Amino acid sequence: MAALTVFVPRLNDELWDAQQLVVIWHQVEQAGDGAEVSFDFSRCGFLRPNAVAFLGGLARLIQHRGGKVLLLSATLSGAVRANLHQNGFAHAMGADTPAWQGNAIPYQEYLTEDKDKIIESLKRDWLGRGWINLSPELANRISGQTWEIFANAFEHSKTPVGVFCCGQYMPKRKELLLAVADFGVGIPSNVRIYLQNPSMSACDAMCWAFTGGHTTQPQQTFPRGLGLELLKTFVRKANGVMRVFSHDGRAKIDPQGETYENTESFFEGTLVQIRLLCDDKHYMLSEESAENNETPFF
Amino acid sequence: MHIKVKELVGENAMTLDDGEAIYSRIHAPLTLGETVELDFDGVQVFASPFFNAGIGRLLGGDLTTEMLNSRLRFDHLSDFGARVLRRVIENAKDYYAAPADQRSEIDRIVHDNAVAA
Repeated sequence: MAALTVFVPRLNDELWDAQQLVVIWHQVEQAGDGAEVSFDFSRCGFLRPNAVAFLGGLARLIQHRGGKVLLLSATLSGAVRANLHQNGFAHAMGADTPAWQGNAIPYQEYLTEDKDKIIESLKRDWLGRGWINLSPELANRISGQTWEIFANAFEHSKTPVGVFCCGQYMPKRKELLLAVADFGVGIPSNVRIYLQNPSMSACDAMCWAFTGGHTTQPQQTFPRGLGLELLKTFVRKANGVMRVFSHDGRAKIDPQGETYENTESFFEGTLVQIRLLCDDKHYMLSEESAENNETPFF
Repeated sequence: MHIKVKELVGENAMTLDDGEAIYSRIHAPLTLGETVELDFDGVQVFASPFFNAGIGRLLGGDLTTEMLNSRLRFDHLSDFGARVLRRVIENAKDYYAAPADQRSEIDRIVHDNAVAA
């Protein structure tokens, strides 16, 4: 059995940090099936929810391939230890300490598309902690929009080990973070297969996937493909930021626009991270109230 | 026909399976000319897969927009649910407006890829 020690660096949620996660994915790939992988946090001063969701999913992928995962708890600094225990990641990786409430939004693993469990968690652990003043209707709306990330992951990625998420509240910046990771077929790969265009660039494929009405869902017999477009529209109207890293492409959506780029290296899977401002004035989506309910639906 | 959506899919109307549960109950009655009321009382969260599978695909058969407007009613649908539904219907109209042979070709390619995967 090959042995690998992964040195987890300090991980924020910018481009460089995503690239470090991809480096870790490659290290694990090179170690091969059945490897014993130890996560060493001695070089990690802190890590954001995107890293937690990614590393959690990677750990399950290693185990799925017959390997073993060791969380080297002695290498955890005080802040990182508190974070990983608070959000439940350490417990999920075998530590005795259960999660507790703080600024963390719990690390979660979903093996199946359990809609009620996921929505309950989003409403209770992410939106329902009093950090943001939301009407029940608006909380339902944000939950439904966020669900599109999970729906996309379950329907398109064919993930062998499930979907992983984690979040955090940033009190100084008054921001809510949520990250969702899977290790299935990435978005660019799905689009290339669907369009039978193996040479399509990752950025073009990502752009295609984020356009309304486009779907790579197999056995499609009715119109699909609005999930990413709706999510994109919501994030922009809410003055939020969404970053998507998938295969060899990446996307960034914010109020200024949307950008799609190729990446030099790839990982097999998708990482979505969204950042929302906890200020309810940003959620006053004026066109909602202007909706004409008398207009026929069809 | 009056259908309480919550009794079929719960308070979260979100998945393709949820939509299928609705479609399978309303398609035939609508085609036969029956009036259907979908009552969303108690349904809180909506997502596009539900409406795609349950409502958007109604436009792909023999039902015209006039028939659907006169025969299918949506009661107690939240503002957000209505917004998603309208976008889904708009998308479905675009999809079915494409030439049939083009849609068949898309479906064939997707099916072949699914079989090969």
